[in-house]
Amino acid sequence: MSFEDDFVEDDEMNMIDDEVASDSEAESLSDSDSDNEITEKLAEPTKTAVYNRDGLLDKLQDISWPEDVDWTHKLTVDIEQGQAVDVNDDLAREMAFYTQALEGTRQAFGKLQEMGLPFLRPSDYYAEMVKSDTHMEKVKSKLLYEKKQMEETEERRKARDNKKMAKEVQSQKMKERAKQKKDEIESVKKWRKQRQQSGFSEKGAGDLDLEFGNGKSFQRGGGKKRPGVSPGDRSGGKGKPTSRMNNKKREFRDSKFGHGGRKGLSKQNTAETTNDFKGGFRGGKAGGNKRQKK
Amino acid sequence: MGKKRKHSETEAAAPVKNDDSAPERPKRTLLGWKDKKEDAEETKAASVFRNKEKVLVTCSRRISFRYRHLMLNIVSLLPHCKKDSKVEAKSSKGETLNELVELKGSSSCLFFECRKHKDLYMWMVKSPSGPSVKFLVNAVHTMEELKLTGNHLKGSRPLLTFSSNFDKDVHWKLLKEMLTQVFGIPKEHRKSKPYHDHVFAFSIVDDHIWFRNYQISVPHNEADKVARGGLDKMTLVEVGPRFCLNPIKIFGSSFGGPTLYENPFYVSPNQIRALEKRNKAGKFAKKIKAKTRRKMHELSNPLEPDEFVDMWKDDE
Repeated sequence: MSFEDDFVEDDEMNMIDDEVASDSEAESLSDSDSDNEITEKLAEPTKTAVYNRDGLLDKLQDISWPEDVDWTHKLTVDIEQGQAVDVNDDLAREMAFYTQALEGTRQAFGKLQEMGLPFLRPSDYYAEMVKSDTHMEKVKSKLLYEKKQMEETEERRKARDNKKMAKEVQSQKMKERAKQKKDEIESVKKWRKQRQQSGFSEKGAGDLDLEFGNGKSFQRGGGKKRPGVSPGDRSGGKGKPTSRMNNKKREFRDSKFGHGGRKGLSKQNTAETTNDFKGGFRGGKAGGNKRQKK
Repeated sequence: MGKKRKHSETEAAAPVKNDDSAPERPKRTLLGWKDKKEDAEETKAASVFRNKEKVLVTCSRRISFRYRHLMLNIVSLLPHCKKDSKVEAKSSKGETLNELVELKGSSSCLFFECRKHKDLYMWMVKSPSGPSVKFLVNAVHTMEELKLTGNHLKGSRPLLTFSSNFDKDVHWKLLKEMLTQVFGIPKEHRKSKPYHDHVFAFSIVDDHIWFRNYQISVPHNEADKVARGGLDKMTLVEVGPRFCLNPIKIFGSSFGGPTLYENPFYVSPNQIRALEKRNKAGKFAKKIKAKTRRKMHELSNPLEPDEFVDMWKDDE
């Protein structure tokens, strides 16, 4: 039986589909009149599937190594599988494989340690690795990039929260200041009234039991300060954030594709070049062309 | 067709068959059979065993890039393999491959066959008279994927872990044995490296064999001991490649022979695609059927005339 036969036989047999790659729906090929129902049948109808146990056992005996071979030749470990893993649940499946490998390594290392064989790579052992260094560089840069993305999102979130907080605090302060102003005006009015009532007696200006605040009102702008705005910032802190963002993109593109600018500006005279009589780049290709023309 | 069999190959093949019958089995050594010393060394028989496994890795023509990279990854994982040029896809594939295997003096072969530029089949064959298995390969992730971040020495011997359901049935046991022999690097192979820093995990889930390759990272100082508690801090990083094997058939001899096992759950990818197409084609027919059904239903159950039909007829 050549190995081409399996395609022919697959058509004849009614087999179900347990393929990982496809959806688990199948239709028996002999039921052509049924509405395409999605059923999963057992392999019972395909009792024609060959299963020659004795033959398999014979072959196993043929190829297996002799019984008393050292474990170090085979290095196999069998791990008990806890529970059936759902194939479609990626995370659980990978966890199962991971735990199997981990358990296996633990047992194997235990055995190797007993035998006293070296099995761990010393830190100064340098040899060819299965992935090249350039590849590992790429891996590292990708990991770093991902980390940076995460950090940036964290920062952005924190900044947003802080801004909210700051806004609340600011509104509080504004209210306080307004209140204070009101209070001051009230107190001045009271003082005037007092003076009126006491008949404008010249008791001395020191009788003012007012508070003029903390001297803040004598500063320029009335003591108003906006945090986060430098004195030289003519946009008042309200500059477009987008102009700051695009700079990064611009910088990256510049570094990759070179610096732009208007066409043809590179050869125009500038202040330095007008005074530059003897210097500059001469010859090279220009000279070579002249030679070729002749 | 001059078959250039190495002398040692024939002798290697012959006693394997007599394994169960002959108690005094001449052990394979690098220099041939030490029959004369057999009596003296019978007690030390196991120490003379040498794993002379050599794997030939080839592929068919018209193989796509992902599967080619998978094959190259496997070549880099197995230092005891030899990569050969592409094999013409002709009907006499079996014979050509058998000859090739003998020519190169290998004891087993991994042949990657890509059909319709979409499906990858892998043949794992023990030569010269060994059983052969045909797999359908799914879920391929090669080592070049940046998500697989581990790395290990090229040619270091892996630890092989199998899940316990490999012992549940005969065909799994046979597959386990074949996998051990093909994927396990021979002990003192000249291209193998000394330490064990990676582990293969073969598990059977849903009647498929899943393969994973992990790098072992353990904080350690000495090469032959782990610090106490160090084993708990061991982590595994995946190196790759990853694939999933679906056994289709097991044959009695290499690339052919009597079928020993067929997977009853296997549906060829061609069939799956045909089924899907048929399902899609059935949509239109279903619609027509539904329409005619509705019509028949309406005819058989006529609606009573509506009493409000004439309400506004006279209001012009």
